[in-house]
Amino acid sequence: MSEIPFPIKDLTRRKTQTTLTILGLAISTAATLFLIIFGSNLGFEISFLAKGGRLTSGFSNIFFQFILIVSILNILTGPIITSFLIHLTMSGRMRDIGVMKACGCLSGSIFAYFVTELSLLVFFSALTGIIFGVAAYYISTIFLNAAGFSISQTLNLGTIMVICIVLIIFSHIFGALPIRKAAKAKPTEAMSPIYKLGTTAALGKKIPSKLGLTFKVAFRNLLRRKSVTSQAIICLTAVLTLTTVTIAGGMIANQTTTSYVERAIGRNIVLVGHPTLTDRYVNLLSRFFEDKEMQQLDYLDHEFLISESLVSKLDDIQGVREVDPRLVLEDSVREVPGIVLDSVEQTTAVIIGDSRSDEALILGIEPEKVVNDWLIFGRKLGENDQESTVIGDSLAVNMFSAAQNQSIKVFEESSLPYDIVGVCVDPLNNGKVVYMPLETLYRDLGQHGYNLLFLQIDASEKSQVLAQIENEVSGENLNVVELDTILDKHVSFLNKIWSLVMFLPFFSLATAAISLLSYLMLSISGQQHEFGIMRALGAKPRSIMKIVFSQALIIILVSGAIGISAGLFITFRFLIPDPVISQSTLISVSAWLLVILGLLCVSSLYPALKAVKKTVVEAICAI
Amino acid sequence: MKEKVVVASGLCRQFEIDDVIVEAVKNIDLTVEENEFISIYGASGAGKTTLLNLIGALDKLTSGKIVVFNHDLGTYDENFLATFRAAYIGFVFQSYNLISTLTAIENIAFVIELAGWPKERIKERSETLLKMVGLDHRANHFPAQLSGGEHQRVAFARALANDPPLLLADEPTGNLDTETGLEIVNILKKIKEEGKTVIVATHDEKLLKLASRSLFLKDGRLME
Repeated sequence: MSEIPFPIKDLTRRKTQTTLTILGLAISTAATLFLIIFGSNLGFEISFLAKGGRLTSGFSNIFFQFILIVSILNILTGPIITSFLIHLTMSGRMRDIGVMKACGCLSGSIFAYFVTELSLLVFFSALTGIIFGVAAYYISTIFLNAAGFSISQTLNLGTIMVICIVLIIFSHIFGALPIRKAAKAKPTEAMSPIYKLGTTAALGKKIPSKLGLTFKVAFRNLLRRKSVTSQAIICLTAVLTLTTVTIAGGMIANQTTTSYVERAIGRNIVLVGHPTLTDRYVNLLSRFFEDKEMQQLDYLDHEFLISESLVSKLDDIQGVREVDPRLVLEDSVREVPGIVLDSVEQTTAVIIGDSRSDEALILGIEPEKVVNDWLIFGRKLGENDQESTVIGDSLAVNMFSAAQNQSIKVFEESSLPYDIVGVCVDPLNNGKVVYMPLETLYRDLGQHGYNLLFLQIDASEKSQVLAQIENEVSGENLNVVELDTILDKHVSFLNKIWSLVMFLPFFSLATAAISLLSYLMLSISGQQHEFGIMRALGAKPRSIMKIVFSQALIIILVSGAIGISAGLFITFRFLIPDPVISQSTLISVSAWLLVILGLLCVSSLYPALKAVKKTVVEAICAI
Repeated sequence: MKEKVVVASGLCRQFEIDDVIVEAVKNIDLTVEENEFISIYGASGAGKTTLLNLIGALDKLTSGKIVVFNHDLGTYDENFLATFRAAYIGFVFQSYNLISTLTAIENIAFVIELAGWPKERIKERSETLLKMVGLDHRANHFPAQLSGGEHQRVAFARALANDPPLLLADEPTGNLDTETGLEIVNILKKIKEEGKTVIVATHDEKLLKLASRSLFLKDGRLME
């Protein structure tokens, strides 16, 4: 007799358990696949290779961290779920194993039978997971592209293969552990009606009696299956950690990245300049979410310069809070190597950096008048800064080894180097920007004047103020652009990306529910006899349901407390530097987590209902 | 005139196992009056347990009618039957069937807690019953830590916890040695003296002698 027919027969005869196991593993595979393929087209690859592209390095970094951490958690959760589900399956087959052993079957053969089953389960799960994951990816990209974005639909088959191989190997290693343990059990132990993997007679004498009969029975039932209970808690904890990181991390990252964009672009900002330059600036700002071809442009053309008198007139308009005049141009910039202390020895100096060069947008600003409030690593430019610059995040990552310990040369190699005092997260020109004092720029260029004005206006009088601004610039061939429209596009782009990432909690939720259901169904099948006795003694079906529900509740609360705490710790410690959390985000995160815990509790009603479906006699006869 | 505790007429119970119909109880007419001690005997598979299950409202009849304490059991739902069992029936199973996750005293208290007795009375009643069956020193032991005889004594204490007017015992000495079996017979004697209505399914001669009436079951039929 070949070894294959037995495992296949065995799996098909245990349809519910087999389906739950395949679904649990498939969902885990699908979530990992979706996240990595989707992420690679949105920023993961960009950030990982640090070559720039859409977004900026600062934003990509958050996506990268998010995708990396959630993927690691997903990859870890998959094998934990496998191990748990196989453990449950083996618990239900102990008596069969005992009989097989009593008939002379060797431990090795039993191990081989069940590992073959494991392989079949893992193979079908991987296949189903690939289908689910790729489908979710295509649906997401179709949705995003229909919303006006251009996200590539290329599938990296290599990535899919690698993820599947990793998950298959891990699942086999983790799944084989409970099989090995079960195959080693003595025949007498395995055939004993009370013996299941992890079942114990020690129940602990002191149970808080004030919590009532239902809780006492539920608690003792959990303790009796200590090993399976702790596995269930570990499994649910892993899934709930993942869920928390996805929900809390996703929401907080969304708010944080939105805040970065809002701070970098500013609210209620009006751009005034020659139409060619304002169009150019808007295009440079939009590079964050769409790539546009741009021609060479002479930014210093006299036609683009704005007169001092107009600046004064605009400044005098009531409702214009600040006028931020700038001289903007594109030119080459060059890295200047820096000297830092050796990170290991701390006594010797080492030279870092090279002499890399790139094209960047150079903005001469009057530091005290700047209307933006970028997230800056380091410090802002001060009034007294003359030979200092603040550079964009992508430039800092792509062109420097440790930007804040280095200097930058603007225009020519022979020009003076400027200290980099800060790195700002800025979507303008994909973060390839250099902010320097206007006076210094004048000195280097040998030319004075502004070519763009940024006006911060009063939101309450917006339309009147705009009308006045347009009135002042009329006849000067200048354009007035409200940057709020561009900002809204940025925010909408980020929201859409994060809202798609929020698919993931549903994957996690389904996995958690499957793990819980599998545990409860096994647990109930082991307790059916005692539930029958309780009913024979007068316990109503509702009381039995309460016991099952209490067991689920204890497991959910313990796993929830550990999983949610761990998830929040990972989110704040590793996921987002300098997170922005509003009260509404906190409420949303809490509400989501409560809904998830609530849904898990509701899902436990199904096995609870199943527990009372049998007649009293049927239940008593069940062993 | 004595009250009729059980009135069964044309009682039938069939089981369907893979398209095969097994008739466990066939057309039984039976009346049990209060304070009676009835023993049911017969070969293994004769239908004794099924009959007790039907009287104890644990199982649903296929046809016929059974009225216990003026309640037509065929007409009620599971919730009502649970309340009915808690109020009227004390059940002792052949295989003891103690709840493994509760201690000896908690197993007894379980029934009265279900009935919603006040806490002080639950404790007092459980301790009294444990003392009655001679197991007060084993109150906090779990079933896994008790012997077979002790199991059955706790099972009797539990069956009496709610002071039910009808006690059903299914082969209460079936799994016990002679000495331990005697202890159970003595407990049943006490119960009989208290005037409770008792129906026992048994092969034990001592129990058969104790009965005021014995019924013989063969292939699901009651033989006169």
